Amino acid sequence: MKKVGKEQVNWPLTIVLILGLITVAFPLYMTIVIAFKQPSEMTNSVAGILSLPRSFSLANFKEAMEVTDFWRSLGNSILITVITVVLSVLIHSMLGYAIGRNSADSKFYKFIYLYIVSGMFVPFAILMMPLVKQTAEMGLGNMAGVIILYIVFYMPMNVLLYSGYLKNIPIALEEAACIDGATTWTTYWKIIFPIMKPMHATVAVLTALGTWNDVMTPLVIMSGTGKNTLPLAQLNFQTQFGTNYNLAFASYLLALIPILIFYIICQKQILNGVVNGAVK
Amino acid sequence: MKKSIFSGKRNRTFLLMTIPIVALFFCFNTLPLIKGFIYSFTNFRGYGDYDWVGLRNYMDLFTDGRVGKSYLFTFKLAVVATILTNVVSLLLAMGLNSKIKFKSALRGAYFIPNVLGALVVGYIFNYFFTYILPAFGQMIGSGALGSSMLSNTKLAWVAIVIVCAWQSIAMNTIIYISGLQTVPEDVYEAGSIDGASGWNKFKELTFPLILPFFSINMVLCGKNFLMVFDQIMALTKGGPAQSTESISYLIYNNGMSGGQFGFQSANAVIFFIVIVVISVAQMTVTGKKEEQL
Amino acid sequence: MKKECARAVSACACVCVAAASLFAGCGGEDEKSGKIEIELVHYKPEAVKTFERIAEAFNATHDDIYLTIESPNDAMTILKTRFIREDNPDIIGIGGDINYSNFVDAGMLMDISDYPGLDSIKQAYKDIDKDLEFVPQDGVYAVPYAANASGILYNKDMFDAHGWEIPETWDELLALCEEIEAEGILPMYFGFKDIWTCLAPWNAIAVGLVEPDVCRQVNSGQTTFTAEYKETAEKMLALLPYGPDDPFAYDYNGACTAFANGEAAMYPIGSYAAPQILSVNPDMNIDSFVMPSNADEADNKLNSGIDLQFCVMEDCENKEAAYEVLDFLLSDEYVQEYISAQNSVPCKEGDFTISPMLDGMSAYIEEGRMADYQDHYYPAEMVVDAQIQTFLINQDVTAFLDKFDSDWLRYNRDIIRKVQAYNEQNKNAE
Repeated sequence: MKKVGKEQVNWPLTIVLILGLITVAFPLYMTIVIAFKQPSEMTNSVAGILSLPRSFSLANFKEAMEVTDFWRSLGNSILITVITVVLSVLIHSMLGYAIGRNSADSKFYKFIYLYIVSGMFVPFAILMMPLVKQTAEMGLGNMAGVIILYIVFYMPMNVLLYSGYLKNIPIALEEAACIDGATTWTTYWKIIFPIMKPMHATVAVLTALGTWNDVMTPLVIMSGTGKNTLPLAQLNFQTQFGTNYNLAFASYLLALIPILIFYIICQKQILNGVVNGAVK
Repeated sequence: MKKSIFSGKRNRTFLLMTIPIVALFFCFNTLPLIKGFIYSFTNFRGYGDYDWVGLRNYMDLFTDGRVGKSYLFTFKLAVVATILTNVVSLLLAMGLNSKIKFKSALRGAYFIPNVLGALVVGYIFNYFFTYILPAFGQMIGSGALGSSMLSNTKLAWVAIVIVCAWQSIAMNTIIYISGLQTVPEDVYEAGSIDGASGWNKFKELTFPLILPFFSINMVLCGKNFLMVFDQIMALTKGGPAQSTESISYLIYNNGMSGGQFGFQSANAVIFFIVIVVISVAQMTVTGKKEEQL
Repeated sequence: MKKECARAVSACACVCVAAASLFAGCGGEDEKSGKIEIELVHYKPEAVKTFERIAEAFNATHDDIYLTIESPNDAMTILKTRFIREDNPDIIGIGGDINYSNFVDAGMLMDISDYPGLDSIKQAYKDIDKDLEFVPQDGVYAVPYAANASGILYNKDMFDAHGWEIPETWDELLALCEEIEAEGILPMYFGFKDIWTCLAPWNAIAVGLVEPDVCRQVNSGQTTFTAEYKETAEKMLALLPYGPDDPFAYDYNGACTAFANGEAAMYPIGSYAAPQILSVNPDMNIDSFVMPSNADEADNKLNSGIDLQFCVMEDCENKEAAYEVLDFLLSDEYVQEYISAQNSVPCKEGDFTISPMLDGMSAYIEEGRMADYQDHYYPAEMVVDAQIQTFLINQDVTAFLDKFDSDWLRYNRDIIRKVQAYNEQNKNAE
């Protein structure tokens, strides 16, 4: 009987959600249409901007790829994002676990928690100058430096997420493992880390998104290394007195695809919550 | 009581997990912050030589009308946008978590606003507020909508709230969805046997269980909106008539692009202290609530 | 237990290893070896193609010097971060604006008064650079390269079709606007949503009405902006009715598009906007005229400022090589190529072909009847552009100028102190 209830599709809700999509579809439609148009097709009239392009030629996309040196910039962006995400998941979950399991009883961990989380509210602008100097002195004025900075920048948010998630994971599992003689370290990797899979996916999505679109950090840290990330290369479309929106939009559409694929993969993990089973 | 199960080794492992990571954080966050703090006592332009000016920057902060206005604007925006975002994304998360068709496709689609770059969002919403919405307003004969919201000193902030919410709903929804995953099915089953339904089911069962995620979202929203910058740059650049200058906008534009690095460092320090005080207060409150449940 | 510690530590060490593995080893590049390297960073990414050609040609003809030219985006941020890193390039290409004043004031640029190429530069532009110094310096710190001009761009075909005349005085301009409006056409387009565009008509009107060094006069306490800018502010306000209904709704891009599509007859903006306008309507016939801000044509001045100039950094080790590069940049061929591509005005004396778009201004350029943009003297953090926008919305001249004066003192106090100390000193010396 339960099963039947589960299979029932809630159609009215589906329709409402599809209707709500108009808030997404409309801007996306504009982006796509503009990406295919030529600068001479740009107008200020509403009908004009919403009309379909004269031709669906891929010329804009081709040129956008040339201007941004697409494959190389994409490679750098992917490299930075993937390493940042992997390290963030490993490091931040560990700290989140240590804090999440101790902050209720220990003043020390409570302090660490507040200390790290408050780092979220430091405006980047104040850190920028000192960081530029510091990374240069440490020989980190390169991609490695950018990755380390991302790991530090996203630490507050991710620790907040992990330690919050842990509150919903019963401690009984660890107690059982402990009685079986497992060390905390092995308990963590064998039991807790896999259980946090939905949160790993969430953290991965959020971290990836932030690093993927970020311009400022690579701009100030990596300038002069001759290496570009995709958002940095996309600055090519804007100059002081003019912006080529058509090429820019084509380029942004291209940049959107990898991260969207990544999200779709991750959201399956978010869905497959293991906790439901674990509680029983 | 519980503690006794675990050995002393456990604490040592926790410390070993914590200390190196915190050290890294200190090195790349706190250390530069301290340096920035030191600059706040100078008239440093961001390059070249500078003089010590003592507390002048801090005294100036409290007499600067622009800074005061930017605090009011930022907090107004943050409060409204936080409420709007959380309400919509919680509804959306529950919707996307129900038994619906095209679940994956819908989840993917609702995620898109978060991925579009600032330039695209800026252009499209500029176009929307400048040309499309007024045209629509004139069509239905509404005076308020008949002209651009972004050029109206009283309405420009509403437009920014809309765009901020539009962009961050995606992220908050993801967090709520992952929170809803931790709500065990049998809680609902037990609930439906008791006859709980609709609002009551939400209030009594779902919401308390996802409270940690609610507080996470509150903090993240607070962070994003109190530090709002991209949307301002994309939509109004502080205008019209300087009515939408956010704190981060001032800190970045005057500190980095302008020559006020020292002064804006002082602004950033005060801003940081204000937010930390607020969020500590907020976390203590929600923390207590969580414990009660 | 030991094992456990080791594992935790090694996990953290992973970060460092991963980081270390990323270090990009800088391999020696053959073409640079044994040569003096000169690095030039400039802020005109739109001219990247011209500069690539220049670098290529330079390296092909020089055995002893290797020139790298970088055209980064957001160059001012990059330059400032490189200064912090003490990784200064040898030559920088920047505009003649407040950044230049600050760099000179911070002692970051080299005195190049012994550079022979300076003799070929128009005096008017060298004077502009001189005026940009907060406190008069002894040396010369920049080679002006290209200038832009600002006034009113107009739709030539539309003007020809209606037989409208180019106005030479303020009253003629207002009369022309009335005439255009009477024919059912919008006289002017504004894009005041982007606050910086408020400065275009402001500067163009101001140069005809105030002394070019008004800011320095204020700094030394000789006058106030309330006295100097009153007429400018009133005239700017007088133009507002001839623009679109809600000029604060449209941004620069929208205004360019509207002007390109013939929605208005005139657009008060600089020559730099031409490429953006032409991208929308490549066949458009644009010409320009000088903002006629006076009752007498003879008092009008063209608003022209240095758009690109080259400065040698103070810590450049190879001054001779840097001069060699400057010589190469200043050769007529490349000056012509640059100004043709960017629609700019050459700062070098000589027989150059100037874009037909500047026809209406060419007489002023030849006579040297020009004055620099007023905003090149304004500190960026004072956001005069936003204040002008506020003023145009509120339309209160007195309040605007009062605030201008009080804000000026506040944002410039360190400079004012320097200027007044300098004046004191000079008085004593006399």
